[in-house]
Amino acid sequence: MSVSHDINTLRELKDGKLSFEKLHGLISGFKDADRFDKMVQIWQESVEWDDPILLPLAEHLFVVRKPDGRRVVKSTWGYEYCDVQENWKLHAKVFVRDSEELINEIYPDKLGCDPEWMQLREYYDPLSGALLEVEVVPPGYPIVHDFKPDIDTFYRDWLGRPVP
Amino acid sequence: MNQFIMSMDAGGTMTDTFFVDDTGRFVVGKAQTTPADESIGFGRSVEDALAQWGQAPEAVFPKVATGIYSGTSMLNRLLERKGRRLGVIVTAGMEDYFQLERGIQTYLGYSYQDRLKVSTHRHNQPLVPRERMKGVRGRIDLFGTEAIPLYEHEAEAAVAELLDMDVEGIVVNLLFSYVNGAHENAVKEAALKVMQRKGKSVPIYLSSELYPVMQDFARLNTVTIEAYAAEPSRGQFQKIADRAKNFGGQFELRVMASHGGTISTEARELARTLISGPIGGMVGARYLGAELGIGNIVCSDIGGTSFDLGLITGGEFTTKTQPDMARFVLKLPLVDIDSVGAGTGSYVRLDPISKRIEFGPDSAGSRIGMCFEQGGVDTPTLSDCNIILGNLNPNNFLGGEVILNKERSYQAIKERIADPLGLDPYDAAEGVLQLFENHLRNEVYARVFGKGYSPEDYTLFSYGGGGPMHVAGYTKGLNFADVLVPAWAAGFSAFGCACADFEYRLDRTVNVATASPDLAPAAFEQGFDLLSGAVNAGWEGLRAKVKDEFAKSGVEAGQIEYRHCLRVQYVGQLNDVEIELPFQAIRSVDDIREIIERFEAAYSKEFSRSAKSPELGYLVTNVLVRGVVKVMKPALPNFPLHGPEPTADALKEIRPIYRNGKWHDARIFDMDELLPGNVITGPAVIEASSTTFMVPPGAEARLDQHLIFHLRHLED
Repeated sequence: MSVSHDINTLRELKDGKLSFEKLHGLISGFKDADRFDKMVQIWQESVEWDDPILLPLAEHLFVVRKPDGRRVVKSTWGYEYCDVQENWKLHAKVFVRDSEELINEIYPDKLGCDPEWMQLREYYDPLSGALLEVEVVPPGYPIVHDFKPDIDTFYRDWLGRPVP
Repeated sequence: MNQFIMSMDAGGTMTDTFFVDDTGRFVVGKAQTTPADESIGFGRSVEDALAQWGQAPEAVFPKVATGIYSGTSMLNRLLERKGRRLGVIVTAGMEDYFQLERGIQTYLGYSYQDRLKVSTHRHNQPLVPRERMKGVRGRIDLFGTEAIPLYEHEAEAAVAELLDMDVEGIVVNLLFSYVNGAHENAVKEAALKVMQRKGKSVPIYLSSELYPVMQDFARLNTVTIEAYAAEPSRGQFQKIADRAKNFGGQFELRVMASHGGTISTEARELARTLISGPIGGMVGARYLGAELGIGNIVCSDIGGTSFDLGLITGGEFTTKTQPDMARFVLKLPLVDIDSVGAGTGSYVRLDPISKRIEFGPDSAGSRIGMCFEQGGVDTPTLSDCNIILGNLNPNNFLGGEVILNKERSYQAIKERIADPLGLDPYDAAEGVLQLFENHLRNEVYARVFGKGYSPEDYTLFSYGGGGPMHVAGYTKGLNFADVLVPAWAAGFSAFGCACADFEYRLDRTVNVATASPDLAPAAFEQGFDLLSGAVNAGWEGLRAKVKDEFAKSGVEAGQIEYRHCLRVQYVGQLNDVEIELPFQAIRSVDDIREIIERFEAAYSKEFSRSAKSPELGYLVTNVLVRGVVKVMKPALPNFPLHGPEPTADALKEIRPIYRNGKWHDARIFDMDELLPGNVITGPAVIEASSTTFMVPPGAEARLDQHLIFHLRHLED
């Protein structure tokens, strides 16, 4: 017996509109086998471009298949960053908070870190200006590559089909 | 037929009324609950009940001696957050109480799996929003001495602000007010002054007056719920009382309370009537046990959604003092009942990964299962299993009011359970039921054995709509002294409410310690004045309060039977034990020795003899007074005995039932046609309109003169 949720329920889940009672049921219940496909469908409906989504990568970021077969990281607003094997952060707008003054804008008084020891790196979507990710690292630390998905294996071994 | 007892239970969907006369004859009436004005549903339910006797309410009500209410309206008001608009004054610094809560409140009532899954934990919506929580500086320390005087101008300002916010009541809950209520009283005085100045008046609820017990947060919850949900219920009670009066009733309506007694609708502490449902059965079992001379009872109640278990030992049940209800920890006495989230309507599912069968925790409730097409349920339940195995008669549910579809049950179990497991549907359904009964049996065993008792010394009572169906399964192999199933099992909770005494149970925290008389004789002698002074004053104050409460119902002091209790623990330990004392004041050191002796006896029973720790000394945490007024109780039916063989009229049919992997021809009896003295040998099924009693192969059931079945496993 496999569990499956109504697509409208999942749509409400994505939009944060599910009542807590329903959400609780979802969290506590058995996993639904078709969640991935339904969520991809919901995400696809929510964006204005047509490139098929292969995998949601992070908030507002997706791996999409271009007509020529390339797998590209693309934002909700349509900005195409790079090939999925590359780090998309290298193609985003970056703002580094590395002085007391800049850190204090976020963490006033003594709540912030010492810029000699720690800095905040903010990554923005070039098209919309939305903040996508923040890194808190020591100065000089290489840019973190959060997630390097093995899409072929995921489709083959987990979903049981080749990548579309 | 001279006198009647009436009890009612206004549940979430149905209002039941139960009438019993002084020969033990009874009727149960049902009608839809009318939440806006419960008295309408009550009236209809009464008419439905009495019509079965061919009587009009006006003919019966003048002869009703006792009327008892239990219901869920107060609980619903709390759950739906539809209580009164309150303001709360706390010690400054504690204003975020309802936002922070205690961590436990974010997962109360959850399954064990969900308790572990932090993402399911969630804060409650506060009963009082943050802007109506006001802090006032001042401090009483734990000994009751004033450490910082109360800032009265802050109290006045807080009251003025709350009045401007149009509150309908003000709750005052300051730290350590249970030891010394002076600051709370000062807040009250300040409030009265401000109210007079502003020409506004709202009731004030002081924790030191209502619930003078330790544990600040639970006390705040309790006082707030008293003001929020309990107080508005008085109007609802009045409407029901008025309706009863219109029918010619002369009695005072009383309410079933969580400590197992009934109290007046005018009682000061009404919040303790918040839950009363499962308690009725325990009270009924205690009464029945007393009548039959059975002191040790395991009470088991299976309803559609849960399995409730409670123990009566030596004729008394134990009481929890910090129960939780509706996701609140409270300081109220509550009859100790454990609830397991599995009933006859519980859903049966197969874990898609592990292929393990799981019950509940959710259930179809009144929608029964897949067999009830109109219910719109799409997951099979335990009832579906019972239907396909022939245990339940699809044409006899609620006396045939609801016709169930056996084919749908079969299909659901085949597709959802049997096929994925590669089993025959009947074997699968039987397996599910066996698993369910094993689960219940383990729970029963754990409750009895875990307390250090042995099933051989206990008699098990089984009731509730689903109890008789599974009782043979969950008692098999446990060797109970006897297993009793009252013929009125389905209405047992209502019956139980009618068995409750008129009883107030008040308590107060004192926290005084004494040393052991043997290990530290000098310290023991020295501590006498302190201990006896605190306990005696506590008892005396509570006796006076109990007397006042009874006076509201016109009960004279002479009729009240007082019982004096203490809660005692070893100094430094966490669990106190309740003991009853044979005196109403401590007069000599021998009385204190008596306290210690009784405490240690109770302690070693509950924990272990070897855990006794007299070197720690003894702490009396709470003093309690129970005031009991005996009231008329339902008579036990008593009929002449007949022979063991049932009459031909009692046999309804022969029906195949599936058990132990094969079909048996079971005799199906009509419960109403069986005569006292009859013995039914399994395989047999005894059907009544509201319950079905299964007597499996290898068991027999004897109906006694009181209309109680005694189930015996012949193979054990």
